Amino acid sequence: MVKAKLWAVIRREYLERVQTRAFIIGSLLGPVLIAGILFVPAWLTMRNLRADATSSLIVIDATGAGLGERLRTALTPTTAAPNATGRIDIRVTPPDGIAAAESLATKAVISKEVDGYVVLDASTLRGERARYAGRKATAVGDMRRLETALRTSTLAERLESANLSPTLVDSLTRSRLELESERLTEQGRGSDASRRANTMFAVAVAFLLYMSMILYGQTVLRGVLEEKSTRVAEVVVSSVSPETLLAGKVIGVGAVGLTQQIIWVAGTLYLGSFLAPLLTRMAGPAVDSATPATAMPTMSMPDIHIGSLVLILVFFILGYGVYSSLYAAVGSTVNSEQEAQQALAPILVLIVASALFIQPAMMNPTSTLARVASMFPFSAPIIMPLRMSLVPIPPWEMAVAIVGLVIAFVVVILLAARIYRVGLLMYGKRPTLSELVRWAKQA
Amino acid sequence: MSELAIDVQHVVKRYAEHLAVKDLTLAVPQGTVYGLLGPNGAGKTTTIRMILNIIAPDQGTIRVLGAASSDPRITDRIGYLPEERGLYKKMKVRSVLQFLGELRGMRRRDADQRIDYWLDRLSLRTPEKDWGAAKVDELSRGMQQKVQFIGTLLHDPDLVILDEPFSGLDPINAQALKDTVVELRKRGKTVIFSTHLMDNAERLCDAVCIIAGGEKVLDGTVAGVKTAHGARHIALGLNGDSPSSVASVLSDKTLVTRVDDQNQFFELELAPGASPQRLLERLVTAGAPITRFELVQPSLHQIFLQTVGAQGVEAGMSGQG
Repeated sequence: MVKAKLWAVIRREYLERVQTRAFIIGSLLGPVLIAGILFVPAWLTMRNLRADATSSLIVIDATGAGLGERLRTALTPTTAAPNATGRIDIRVTPPDGIAAAESLATKAVISKEVDGYVVLDASTLRGERARYAGRKATAVGDMRRLETALRTSTLAERLESANLSPTLVDSLTRSRLELESERLTEQGRGSDASRRANTMFAVAVAFLLYMSMILYGQTVLRGVLEEKSTRVAEVVVSSVSPETLLAGKVIGVGAVGLTQQIIWVAGTLYLGSFLAPLLTRMAGPAVDSATPATAMPTMSMPDIHIGSLVLILVFFILGYGVYSSLYAAVGSTVNSEQEAQQALAPILVLIVASALFIQPAMMNPTSTLARVASMFPFSAPIIMPLRMSLVPIPPWEMAVAIVGLVIAFVVVILLAARIYRVGLLMYGKRPTLSELVRWAKQA
Repeated sequence: MSELAIDVQHVVKRYAEHLAVKDLTLAVPQGTVYGLLGPNGAGKTTTIRMILNIIAPDQGTIRVLGAASSDPRITDRIGYLPEERGLYKKMKVRSVLQFLGELRGMRRRDADQRIDYWLDRLSLRTPEKDWGAAKVDELSRGMQQKVQFIGTLLHDPDLVILDEPFSGLDPINAQALKDTVVELRKRGKTVIFSTHLMDNAERLCDAVCIIAGGEKVLDGTVAGVKTAHGARHIALGLNGDSPSSVASVLSDKTLVTRVDDQNQFFELELAPGASPQRLLERLVTAGAPITRFELVQPSLHQIFLQTVGAQGVEAGMSGQG
């Protein structure tokens, strides 16, 4: 019978919230927003790759050694049609003609005939410097590409002038070295790309947990406050115990939170399934041997095991339970939203402090700070899932975190239920700390 | 004597600053309409909340419908209308009522039938408009009161507890409430209500308990209470302006101890030792234009003022009513 009533409370909390306009709009917009955050930067990168600074360029070559030609070869895609997109215009000048050539090139840039120009002179040949001026000077990727091409060309030129055969030089300088790093754990190896995906995943999970604890905690608080200020609480607690009401509210709102997050994740994946091929198609013309592979945004999945997902869920449930019960207790002691914001300060300090550990724990997941924060009950729900996705966690640390959180959960629930029981029917002045202690002791 | 619907024994409730209820004992027989009377702050709401097990007494025992008040099985047999009334504003009326029904152990289907019955009966559902489909905050105050009232009676409780049910009711709803109380009584249900409006109590109640300052001042059947306070009350009717000599007769403390001047009508309490004949004689001599002179039972209102007046309405217990 008690179960039927608990179910009635959960059902009301859930259905009333899921049917609100705010929930529906939030659930629909969430994936669009997340997809936007994930895909827009990738899309911008793609666009840059396609029409980059090196495709439309004036090369002022004052080296007298044909370095400009080498640079063009290094920059021109080998697979694509030679004159497909842009053009590289080489202007060979004597060293004292640089200034005149430059002013001509500047005019060409301003009249948008080309994106920029690069000046090669004797110092370039010595391996010291070259200059670029143009519209895309701030595009880091493009500049790096130009730099790499320049280095290769200069090196080749210098090797040839040291009497190495051109074919040998070509085969030597054509080498392309990339550093591939691997994540090494007991479970096996992960590639460099998946390590980056892991970090992104870890931080995303930590922030999602942080946001949901604040968001849904607030929702619980507002629900308690509503029952209190509309005075409906008295009728309700004459039929069910305050503990049942509290439990129903926390579970109901938690289910709403889970529902929303499932919609968000599923929606993002769904949108992603449309956007990812789109990106690949767009990237098509630019993908070639001349484009360093690292410039491509990799669509790699994080190597997360199903066990980790279950653990993350456990941390979410426990963390949400602890914080939402605290929020409910606060909600029962206040009479208005304004009062609530003041009374919430201690809880917010706990949550925000936990969020402050996200950055250091991400940078150095094995530091003492990160380890302590991942075991302390009030920050564990945010920091442990973060660390867990980055490094293997010793079983005892995981055990301490979970057991500590369970104990905190039980203690907080019992305390919150007692404060809630008394506070729900108290109106007027906000209780002092000593009164709260007395409430917790009685009943 | 029939089984007691409510049996409160020596109950004490202490709040931080004051004693809300001092050693209160009262018994409500089943099938009666019982009035819990007292000034504001007398401890009525505290008593009711203890009966409902919303708060626990510090001392004493409370039995409701033959079980301890904390027994979860009896909560489904009680209907409660609190003094401070409110509903979930954003919910549909029908959903709120379904929820309240479920909290009292009803199944949704049964609740729905009863909701239909009550919406029709209180004209919240007419061929033109079904307010059950509207949100609570679209309803007028009067309609919200009706909904609240339905929520109290939806599960056909054996014991109905109404805390200050008449406060804020418009005359039509007040009449509907009275009719319903009478009907519940006919069906053998027990109704307890607290009020400080003696007229309603006098008309509706079989028995009353007057409490003040957290203590019982008196209790018993309405007839018994009146008899106990003797037929030493006189209803006096005067036609138009009376000479000043009449006023001096009425202010003679050897004849009359209390005068409740209601302009055209006086309720007098005879002084000990004075006889009605002597009073009538003096009034006639004074030339009073008498239209009515009758020995009456005191009204509950008079008894209330008489008994509580001593303790002082203004003794001013603060805190919960």
